[in-house]
Amino acid sequence: MKTTIQKQDGNLIAILEGRLDTAAAQEAEKAMQPLYDCDGLDVVIDCTAMEYISSSGLRIFLGILKNAKAKGSHVYIKGISDDIRAVFAMTGFINLFEFK
Amino acid sequence: MNKVIAYIRRKLSVRVSLWVVFFAAVIFNVALGFLFYQAREAVRQEAINSAMQILDKTSLRVEGILNRVEVASDMTEWLVMRHPDEPDSMFVYSRGMLLNNPDFYNCSIAFEPNYFKNKGRYFSAYSKHNGDSIRTIQGGSDSYQYFYMDWYLMPILLEHPCWTEPYMDYDVPTNTSEMVTSYCRAIKDKQGKVIGVINTSLSLNWLSQTISAIKPYPNSYCIMLGRGGTYFMHPDSTKITRQTIFTQTMEKPDTAMTALGHAMQHGEEGVKLMQLEGEECYVFYKPLGQTGCSLAVVCPKSDIFRGFDRLRHTVMAIVCIGLLLMLYFFIRIITRELSPLRRLAHQAETIASGQFDTKLPELQRTDEIGQLSHSFAGMQKSLVRYMDELKNTTAQKTSIERDLHIASAIQMGMLPKNFPTKDDRDDVQLYASLTPAKDVGGDLFDFYIRDEKLFFCIGDVSGKGIPASLVMAVTRAIFRTVSAREAMPDRIVVAMNEIIADMNETNMFVTLFVGVLDLPTGRMRYCNAGHDAPLLVGVGVGPLPCDSNIPVGVMPGWKYTLQETQIFTGTTIFLFTDGLTEAEDASHAQFRMERVNEVTSLALANHQHEPKQLIGLMTEAVHQFVGGAEQSDDLTMMAIQYIKQVSDVKYSKRLVLPNDIQEVPRLAAFVDEVCETVGFSAAVTMQMNLAIEEAVVNVMKYAYPSGKQGNVTIEATSNDTRLKFTIIDSGMPFDPTAKADADTTLSVEQRPIGGLGIYLVRQMMDSVNYERMDNLNVLTLRKKLKTNK
Repeated sequence: MKTTIQKQDGNLIAILEGRLDTAAAQEAEKAMQPLYDCDGLDVVIDCTAMEYISSSGLRIFLGILKNAKAKGSHVYIKGISDDIRAVFAMTGFINLFEFK
Repeated sequence: MNKVIAYIRRKLSVRVSLWVVFFAAVIFNVALGFLFYQAREAVRQEAINSAMQILDKTSLRVEGILNRVEVASDMTEWLVMRHPDEPDSMFVYSRGMLLNNPDFYNCSIAFEPNYFKNKGRYFSAYSKHNGDSIRTIQGGSDSYQYFYMDWYLMPILLEHPCWTEPYMDYDVPTNTSEMVTSYCRAIKDKQGKVIGVINTSLSLNWLSQTISAIKPYPNSYCIMLGRGGTYFMHPDSTKITRQTIFTQTMEKPDTAMTALGHAMQHGEEGVKLMQLEGEECYVFYKPLGQTGCSLAVVCPKSDIFRGFDRLRHTVMAIVCIGLLLMLYFFIRIITRELSPLRRLAHQAETIASGQFDTKLPELQRTDEIGQLSHSFAGMQKSLVRYMDELKNTTAQKTSIERDLHIASAIQMGMLPKNFPTKDDRDDVQLYASLTPAKDVGGDLFDFYIRDEKLFFCIGDVSGKGIPASLVMAVTRAIFRTVSAREAMPDRIVVAMNEIIADMNETNMFVTLFVGVLDLPTGRMRYCNAGHDAPLLVGVGVGPLPCDSNIPVGVMPGWKYTLQETQIFTGTTIFLFTDGLTEAEDASHAQFRMERVNEVTSLALANHQHEPKQLIGLMTEAVHQFVGGAEQSDDLTMMAIQYIKQVSDVKYSKRLVLPNDIQEVPRLAAFVDEVCETVGFSAAVTMQMNLAIEEAVVNVMKYAYPSGKQGNVTIEATSNDTRLKFTIIDSGMPFDPTAKADADTTLSVEQRPIGGLGIYLVRQMMDSVNYERMDNLNVLTLRKKLKTNK
């Protein structure tokens, strides 16, 4: 699991690669901490290279979204695969996030 | 005739009048009958008396005539004896006799032959009326030798004067004959020698006319009999001297006639009632002086009572006409008096036909009819009011009934209708039936399958009808709610008991049996709260052992006990309410447990113990037993057959992990390998990964207290149809299926961070099943293979 945070076009971009399972979740949460400081910036989570997500991963996503929403920022999910989109749909997350 | 009777039945006036006239007729009849009887007796007595008087008078008269004859004869004898030698004066004497007594028929003074020398052998001075004059001649001759005649010989031989029997006197000069009777008296000279005989005759015809002139009744007549019973006098002149009173009794025995003849012969006096020539007659009889004759007056009874009968007939006719008039007027009067009643009856009929506003006739009468009319008017008012009330009540009742029908439909709708059969499932089949005694009932049953477990319950609310049905609905809802989070029957029942007891203000209670059948293993946990013990129909038939717990709703805080048993493949669990054992026939005999056992045993023997068959047989047996009797209680039956066959395991793999989240990648590798083996697609593989990871992480997080070491074993087995993951740990009891599902519709702000894990597991897998076995938590997850091929 690899997590990269970038600042680009006034957006905070997180690029996730590999499996975001329970084991990887703790580390990923730490890595994504910068996304919490999103004052005035929109957050884009790039999932193009993410193979898998468990409920632990979804929980991180939800945490980021709650924080960003409170600060008036948008959270966009980018390049999500169909299989993972199915998981988002199943959990109702598809209604919470905006997709690019 | 029938028409007349029907008319009389229909007409009160005719009936009453008939009764009155009938009684009047009876009274008249009795009174008149008595009067007539008495009067008739009096008339009869009077008739007898008067007839007897007349008879006395007649006989006195006859005797007078006879006496006169005798006296005259005696006088003539004295004259003859004064001048016995002067034959010619005899003519004067004889003539004088008739002159003095014009009613005598003839008189002859006859002498012994050759008594007068100058007169020859015969001398008889014979005088007889000839028209208005008297002819006197010498009567003896060769052709009439009088001294040989009876009348001449009798007084001489008898030595005293006597009356002859009647005989025919032939009068030569006029060539006529006449029936006569003669008084004959011998003439004796001074020496006492008979010198002749004085014969004085009376015409019987005259005598008869004389007597007959006295008739007490128009048709009465007289009879005179001589000594031998010979008729001297009779209306039929042919009988006179030719017949005796006994003649006709020779041909036709007639004791009354014979008795009369004897009585008259013996000179008796009296009266007899007898039949004469076909007519009833009173015969009054009496001897006639010394003549030896007897006189009888015959009075036909009809003559005697003619006047009386006429009177009687007149009176009877008057009475009859009077009664008929009475009947007519009574009918008229009663009809007139009853006419308001008839009008009232007519109006009542109109009212009865439904026209309640019909106006009743106003009657100013104060008698019973007036009272009736008044009461009827009151009744009409009450009727109108009552009908209105009834209409309202009926409308309300109809509304209630409609509500009840709807309630019944709702209640039936609450019950599960889709029963799993062996075509649907390979582990269990089930059938149930509920027949409420009324529209709605207090019995309930429910079942559903969650996480490879069959949750079922059967219950019976105390009482029947609407109150019971409300409790039933609540109970069933509570069962669903409670069992959604709880797989232990005892805890389900405890929770239900708390809720129901808490809201139980009417002291209703529910006998309840709650069972949870673990479908993969056939293990059944159950809790019986005062319900009938179910029957196990498998190897044999026998009751399921049940602890005695009190019914639900009675006492809050009751510790309900849990029981467990193993259900073997093919065994049917037969549950029922007491409506089955206590089903009553017309004579209130109950169906009883023995019959339930018999039916189930027979079904088992015939291999007909599949749920639907068994319930069908039981229903039929109950119907046959109950017959036409009304259903006494709600009747509910439920049969559950466990049919799980041990499937062949085609593939099996096992992984043991310590309870460390960092071991999850190993798990992913294991799942990937298994999924590849069974040929799942990448997408499904990802789902399996997600489900198994979530389940295992759940165990790692919650089954072991933090910091405690332990293992989690994951077994993957597959056969032709499905892939099964079994996750086993030795941690503390933890049932992830008892957790509430996450609400996926909440907004970002409301949505909790956690709680997605078991939700995702349910979404990914076909079934999730938790069992606590031998201090192990066993979580079984299944996924069908078919759909992925």
